[in-house]
Amino acid sequence: MNIKKLLNLFAKEEDTSKAKAKDRLTLILAHERTSNIEFIDDLKKDIMEVVQKYIKEPKDVKFKTSENRDISALEVEIKI
Amino acid sequence: MGKVITVTSGKGGVGKSTSLANISCALAEEGKKVLAIDFDIGLRNLDMILGLENRIIYDVIDVMEGRANLSQATISFKKNRNLSFLAASQNVDKEVLSLRKVKKLINELKDIYDYILIDSPAGIESGFEHAMVLADIALVVVNPEISSIRDADKIIGVIDSKSEKAKNNEEVQKFLLINRYRQDMAMRDESLNIQDIVDILSIDLIGIAPEEDKLISYTNSGLPVFYDKKTNLSHAYERIAKRLINSETLASNDYSKLLNEDGFFKKLFNKFAYYKMA
Repeated sequence: MNIKKLLNLFAKEEDTSKAKAKDRLTLILAHERTSNIEFIDDLKKDIMEVVQKYIKEPKDVKFKTSENRDISALEVEIKI
Repeated sequence: MGKVITVTSGKGGVGKSTSLANISCALAEEGKKVLAIDFDIGLRNLDMILGLENRIIYDVIDVMEGRANLSQATISFKKNRNLSFLAASQNVDKEVLSLRKVKKLINELKDIYDYILIDSPAGIESGFEHAMVLADIALVVVNPEISSIRDADKIIGVIDSKSEKAKNNEEVQKFLLINRYRQDMAMRDESLNIQDIVDILSIDLIGIAPEEDKLISYTNSGLPVFYDKKTNLSHAYERIAKRLINSETLASNDYSKLLNEDGFFKKLFNKFAYYKMA
């Protein structure tokens, strides 16, 4: 037990159980908070329709959602 | 006008009913007139924690359907007459509650009691909406553990959509209660600490209820642990009740200094300081 404690002193912060919990939670919640926005799918569909007005077969349209505290963002990358 | 405090969690089994029972006792001891209502229709819980299961004649549905009046259905708590209890229905059909009747009942109760504490069912189905619709305060209970925190985050996100207050552009206060907290594990970085949990959920902290081995035997005998003044947990509930009355929360500097301190004596001091604060 004492040796374990000693080893823990040298362990990197990221290796601790607490750090793993925090990292995994922060990631999954960032994803879930944006997927909670009801209109996000409709918004994506509408954006695609607008894009299709100009580009016949848009192959490279990427949607990415992210969340940080009070700000939710939808990133759209369109390759022309 | 009484205040409605809805105790909720997302995940089940985190200690919602236990927290509610003990905070109700603590508020009653502060001289407030308190009603604890179990809204977990079909799955009674609160009655046993308060030791009142043998005295139930009428339940919350009986009152809403007019089969009993309030004075017949509410059961007064032996240890402190300031506290009364209204049982959940054993009827398994949850849909029997209508939102209109729920609102009518709670509005009547607000004229009688200082605090109405509602035990919300776990999850986000219709029962949750009924428990939340007239809430002034939503008290979210979490354990320092990932699945409980994840579900709490989901609950926090839907509180406003169920609340009448939020629809009228008023604020539903959202308070976090960290239950079954183990400072020793947090200090060894084996569990999330208070700061981590508050950072992730970003709502105000009303209190920390430490893990208590004696809790199960108190629940077994139907006496809320609040009445054992030798436990740290009892004092934690007392402080939570006082904060609710004074509309206070725990500020970050109340607990941040207790964490990440090195050295045996500092750790010993921190452990002591933690129990004084939590």
